[in-house]
Amino acid sequence: MSAIKVKSYEDEAGGDFMVGSFQDFGYGTVDQENEAVGSSSDEKPRILLMGLRRSGKSSIQKVVFHKVSPNETLFLESTNKIVKDDISNSSFVQFQVWDLPGHIDFFDATFDAVKIFGGCGALIFVIDAQDDYVEALDKLNMTVTRAHKINQDIKFEVFIHKVDGLSDDQKIESQRDIHQRANDDLVDAGFEGIYLSFYLTSIYDHSIFEAFSKVVQKLIPQLPTLENLLNMLISNSGIEKAFLFDVVSKIYIATDSSPVDMQSYELCCDMIDVVLDISCIYGLQDDNELNAFDDKSASIIKLNNTTVLYLREVNKYLALVCILREDNFVKQGIINYNFLCFRKAIQEVFEVRQKMLAARMENGTDHQNETLKTLSPPPPASKEEKKKSPLAQPLSSFCDHVWLS
Amino acid sequence: MELVVRFFLLIGGFLYYQKKSPQWSLCINSVTVYSNHFLFCPIKFLKMNAIIAVCHFCELHGPRIVFCTQPFHPQEPRTVDDDDALSDVSSGHMHCRSKTAHRGSFSSTDSAAVTSMKTDLCEGCYSVKTGFVSHDDEGPISYVSSQHPHHPKVFSMVRQACLRSLSCEVCPGREGPIFFGDKQQGNVLSYTFYIQDNQARGFKRWYSIIIVMMDKVYLLNSWSFLVPNLQLVIKQLQTKAEKVYTEEQARCPQKGYRDSIYPANFRFQRGGNKPARSLKELTDEKHIFKMLHMYFVWILKACVNRTTETSLEAPPTEDAILDTERLEETEEGFIKLYMRKSSPDLENAEMESSEPNPNIPMFHNLQHLMQVLGYLNFHTVAHHTIIGNQLIVKGAQKQLVKSMLDVLKGLLPKGCCKTISYSDKYEDSWRCNFLGLPLEIALPYHILGSEQFLLMEIICPNDKRDDLNMYEFKISSQITLPDKAPKVLTQMELALRNTNLNYEVIEQCLICLKEEWMNKVKVLFKFTKAGGCRSDEDTKKLLQVVGAKDEDKQLLKFWMTGLSVQYRNHILSTSMTHNMAAS
Repeated sequence: MSAIKVKSYEDEAGGDFMVGSFQDFGYGTVDQENEAVGSSSDEKPRILLMGLRRSGKSSIQKVVFHKVSPNETLFLESTNKIVKDDISNSSFVQFQVWDLPGHIDFFDATFDAVKIFGGCGALIFVIDAQDDYVEALDKLNMTVTRAHKINQDIKFEVFIHKVDGLSDDQKIESQRDIHQRANDDLVDAGFEGIYLSFYLTSIYDHSIFEAFSKVVQKLIPQLPTLENLLNMLISNSGIEKAFLFDVVSKIYIATDSSPVDMQSYELCCDMIDVVLDISCIYGLQDDNELNAFDDKSASIIKLNNTTVLYLREVNKYLALVCILREDNFVKQGIINYNFLCFRKAIQEVFEVRQKMLAARMENGTDHQNETLKTLSPPPPASKEEKKKSPLAQPLSSFCDHVWLS
Repeated sequence: MELVVRFFLLIGGFLYYQKKSPQWSLCINSVTVYSNHFLFCPIKFLKMNAIIAVCHFCELHGPRIVFCTQPFHPQEPRTVDDDDALSDVSSGHMHCRSKTAHRGSFSSTDSAAVTSMKTDLCEGCYSVKTGFVSHDDEGPISYVSSQHPHHPKVFSMVRQACLRSLSCEVCPGREGPIFFGDKQQGNVLSYTFYIQDNQARGFKRWYSIIIVMMDKVYLLNSWSFLVPNLQLVIKQLQTKAEKVYTEEQARCPQKGYRDSIYPANFRFQRGGNKPARSLKELTDEKHIFKMLHMYFVWILKACVNRTTETSLEAPPTEDAILDTERLEETEEGFIKLYMRKSSPDLENAEMESSEPNPNIPMFHNLQHLMQVLGYLNFHTVAHHTIIGNQLIVKGAQKQLVKSMLDVLKGLLPKGCCKTISYSDKYEDSWRCNFLGLPLEIALPYHILGSEQFLLMEIICPNDKRDDLNMYEFKISSQITLPDKAPKVLTQMELALRNTNLNYEVIEQCLICLKEEWMNKVKVLFKFTKAGGCRSDEDTKKLLQVVGAKDEDKQLLKFWMTGLSVQYRNHILSTSMTHNMAAS
């Protein structure tokens, strides 16, 4: 069995425990030197994980992006410096997760707060729900107001974390209480305009993945397009629910507009695990092959409650997982055809982004971009296309495929 | 609690200490050069040259300074904004330190954050209440260890360095030494390491030892000394902590406990462990900070002694180069000073340190020797000495013999002097050209017949032993000297006979003369070694050019043996490349 070999300096020292078959299957950690060279990091929105010490920031990062089992997080060291994870696996999800130690005040004059918060897309503030959260709320208020002053575009997300120890009533009560107090504090400080989103999370179930999915989705500008595509797909194919997954982290990039049921999300997550595990064991042709997930990856799981789970590879890092009734699965050919349309459309969205980046570079005066230029595909030939703003492109251009139903 | 620590440093850095002695002294074998305030000039107002500090990533407070040691030079003029603590150090009244420490922490220059950092201490960040001080009387330097540096500017520098060392800079492999810094915030050598702790998250706590200096070049040059010594200190801490860790692990195995089937148990109890533990507890060593103080004082002092800085007024003389060559060999360990086999000085190393007996007369300088011996005798002795004949001095009093040899050495370049100042048997002339012997030792027969030497016997009078003029000096030699003395001797004697001059001036004059002739020797050396066939005719011409006559030839030949290794190698290698280029 082989897995992607990724080295990060956090992992080197943490060799005390076994993580399981996916130990190395994750994202690397950014070298700080590399960051200085490529301006590509400027393109990637940053997600900051902040909160008091011991609130579970590193655990979240480890569980979501490094496949560490939740129980193993008990043995994590306290984080003493900013740990950066580069999540740049697909065309849509390109961001860095920065885990900031809770002991250090990064608004102190010693640190360049503008540099830290300037390029930040979302700030996740983790509150330990099992602890007294008064101090955490003070810190939250201070962090939010100061970060907002530096960068108005930051989206603030509050994870009410470690809720696995609370009863359902307690969960609702603490969410309500924290919501109330945090917003009151902001109003008192004169920041009515800031909107905080609250999530109840735990690393022992899928809530942390769901919450992270929502955070990530806010950073994807193409989200409406993707949702629309998924809507078309399910309505034409008789699918009940479809998720577009980032395979490695199991966060979903997009889903159709029907409400998300936690159970179906967990089901889909588990399916990805099964498919990956089986492919890792039986799917690798030779030992040098690193990725068990390839363009032939597909799976059908039939459950005994007349439900079918259907997984198809969309691109190297993305998978489409659908839940549908057995009756509707009779016309599998149509579903496959529609899926191909969907995949093609996704690829087009992907290309637009590529073109946009390339065009920006061609027009760009920024000398720093030179390093990036050599790495990216050649700019588009047609001048007309270049002029088009990718996001202004009509939705229909992605949807002019013939969908069968 | 006020503690003044006395300790001795034994060879190899092994040390132990004794409490409550009024003074302390530091004995490092054979290291003789002390230089106090030469190295770190740029920010004199900070009164620091180097600070060693232990930093800790505290579970509650983040990166904190736990303990720091810094030297103070009391003789420096005080500036207005100096902390009172400094003056206390200089006057030695260490009893007021606790008061001044308090005053320091509430002084108006401190920002709120700094004040909180100084007062808000948990078990993990706290080290000592007042601190330790060690006085080096030879220095004179006082080494002060405390929780934080008292001077606000120094404090902010060390704090910044602490923060960077633990929470910013990435060390490959996580444990190890790194260097960072700039002109404003000082240059820092930081050694990051962990200490095992059964109760800590991840079972370890992060520490670092930082050395902050303003002088970047000096810090980097000391790297080879500092890093291995820091490693020794860290190794000690880690070994102690590991012992404690294994014991605790055996008593209550946290890992199994945390690993149990119901991690919920653990989570609800939230570990039940203390968030922070002090270094004392982790190493189970009550005196850990005292020990650190001693280690750091030694490191600071030994680091300074490693190198001496001399201001160069001119290119270094041959003697100076020779001195540095000898020093370089001691790089490994300071006890090796004068270990070179060709220089038998080592045998006399312990004698040199012994106090002179005031009842026995001594020769103080060449002028004094000339007065006592009389001009003619002096001339003969000097002539023999300067052309390399072995000088054997026999006398009952070791001290007198030795002082005579020491004084006569002043006539020769250092490289030419091979001394055995008081041996109990005859030594061959290839081993030494200055030999001291007790009176009763007879010279071997074959020596008496063939060797070129000058024998001087010092006969001690029966009474009035403290008067040099009562002594009798018998000079005898097998060889007859050429009538004409070498020119340099004539010049030297001219200087020595000038009684109007201060002896220091004469000494300088002798150095100049020696250097002048040493340069001629160099020319000759180059001439002979640079290859090609040299006829007598050529040699004569060359001697004429450098202004040497026949009577100087013997001297030039002898002095050639005193050239430094560095110079020889340089000439040989350059002449070799020349020859190769020519062919």
